[in-house]
Amino acid sequence: MNFFLDIPPATFWNNPSGSNALMIRLALALLIGIAAIFVLLKAPTNYRRPIVGVVTFLSGAFYVMLYLWPVAISRNKGIDAPRNPVEGVAFWLDDAVPVVANFTSIVTAFLLGLGVYSLLRVHGRKVMRKETDWVFSVVLLSSMVLMVFAGYGDWYSRLDPIKAPALELRENWGPINYLRDVLFEGMLQQMDAAMFSLIAFYILSAAYRAFRVRTIEATILLAAAFIVMFSFMGSVEAAWGHMVNPSGNIDNFSNNFTLTEVAKWIRGSIQKPAIRGIDFGVGIGALAMGLRLWLSLDRTGGKS
Amino acid sequence: MYSSLPPPLFANLWLGNQYRHTGWFGIVFVLTMVAFVLMNIRRAKTGRNLYIRRIAGLNAIDEAIGRATEMGKPVLMVPGLSANLNAIVMQALNIFAHVTRIAAKFSNPILVCCNDAAIFTVAQEVIRDVYQEQGIPESFDPDSVRFISDRQFAFAAGVSGIILREQTAATFFLGEFFAESLIFAETANSIGAIQIASSTQITQTPFFIAACDYVLIGDEFYAASAYLTRQPILVGSLVGQDWSKLLVIVSIMVGIGLNSFQRINTKYDKTWKDGQEVDAPEHTRKASETFTYILLNPQTNANDADIPAIKLRPEDKRPELPLNERVTKTDAEAPK
Repeated sequence: MNFFLDIPPATFWNNPSGSNALMIRLALALLIGIAAIFVLLKAPTNYRRPIVGVVTFLSGAFYVMLYLWPVAISRNKGIDAPRNPVEGVAFWLDDAVPVVANFTSIVTAFLLGLGVYSLLRVHGRKVMRKETDWVFSVVLLSSMVLMVFAGYGDWYSRLDPIKAPALELRENWGPINYLRDVLFEGMLQQMDAAMFSLIAFYILSAAYRAFRVRTIEATILLAAAFIVMFSFMGSVEAAWGHMVNPSGNIDNFSNNFTLTEVAKWIRGSIQKPAIRGIDFGVGIGALAMGLRLWLSLDRTGGKS
Repeated sequence: MYSSLPPPLFANLWLGNQYRHTGWFGIVFVLTMVAFVLMNIRRAKTGRNLYIRRIAGLNAIDEAIGRATEMGKPVLMVPGLSANLNAIVMQALNIFAHVTRIAAKFSNPILVCCNDAAIFTVAQEVIRDVYQEQGIPESFDPDSVRFISDRQFAFAAGVSGIILREQTAATFFLGEFFAESLIFAETANSIGAIQIASSTQITQTPFFIAACDYVLIGDEFYAASAYLTRQPILVGSLVGQDWSKLLVIVSIMVGIGLNSFQRINTKYDKTWKDGQEVDAPEHTRKASETFTYILLNPQTNANDADIPAIKLRPEDKRPELPLNERVTKTDAEAPK
């Protein structure tokens, strides 16, 4: 099994599989990683924050640069050569994007272990002490182990380049492939769908409370909701349309008062501008928050 | 089809035509907003008293925690279902730190449910810090911050189960919520919990409004930490955001005026074809031929609302790498 597959095309960020250059880069990366952890552990507490700040700034600077630096258009990767240093940097940034994105995946993979540890601790303790509903914790832990076993077994069986195509057909499956299919497609996906379908009932109960006519705002909301809902109901829409515009002439002024047109006006002229306004606020807020994090201006925890 | 106008500043002098499509207007606009935020942070640091209006949902935090303390039930916090650690999650954790601080003062139990391992790790550290800062590190229960699942509806089922089993008295749903928002809100509503919620996903805000007691709408979510802590940096940043919103409003007004004027009063005897301005019969300007449209859609061919594939002009063609330096799919397939 080749763990060091090279990512085509060759760039600053990768090397041919098994080459000395790749091994040297791997060794260097490992050394830098160990040195970084050592420095962080040995650094006095009051230096840790600046160190983290510098790392945060450099990581953020990559994406800021990616946004600000002119993008080279119509690049034929692996074949085109840059024409000037500016384009050279654009190529370098372009090649680095998947690599930098992988950094995040690698860190997240390490952190997943902590997440699983949390699950094991909370539910393991529940089972050991036989607290209320401990049986559910047993179900959770055993399904987790079973799913990991079935998932890896299925994945491993599909690694063989000769046998893998045959596994596309169900009749060539082994027990492990069936087990994974039953657990994932047969149970997990179906339970997901069941949870999703609950939303329909929750919408009904929430809508009942929201639409109770108590205030002027609730009344306006109720009227708007009815117009939009009726505009989707063919028979009601047709009956109303025939009443306001019996000729069915689309150039007739009264055509503006069909349910479809009124609903379109409500959505296009009232709802959409309001949503855009909120979107602007959210976007600008995210920009300011991102800026504070990037420049380490924010103290997480927001001490008073 | 080649890239169309307008060129970025100095593009022809410095970089060549291939960079025209990147558009300078968006970059200048963002940098202006960044400048507003940084400038106001500086202003706030000098001690200026900057005003923040009252936000009902944030005033209710004390009430919610007080109720939980009276009932002896935990306070539940969910920082959304973001796929990874981002600014939205950090903002939610900032607010949760404040909530935890108040809960810690009254020795009220808390629960934080996370859907992502990275968020879980950071949330655990933030909450631990709060207890340490309050001088009661021994009160911090590591199990109060939990990783539930990274699957959307498994997470929804897990959190709903916790709400029902623990009978949480107050719930805070702040962050990025999707279809599961109503499952959380209605479950908590069914047990009579006091709820404060906010979703940066605008489609979920109506669900929260229907089911929760208090909802932070839009950028109120980002104003929360400034409102609660009154830190100069946060307050300055908030005022910077307001200036940026004013800039957006002014731009929209100018754009409406300019667009209307051009479409009503100006004739045009050219059109855009393949990124080039070519002669055409005189006509009233189409929306896609106005200054604002071309300014905001620099990569779009003015005749076509869809963004076309942008190609280099023949004269801008790049040199090719030497054959021995090229790699296509694998080493074996590379030309020797």
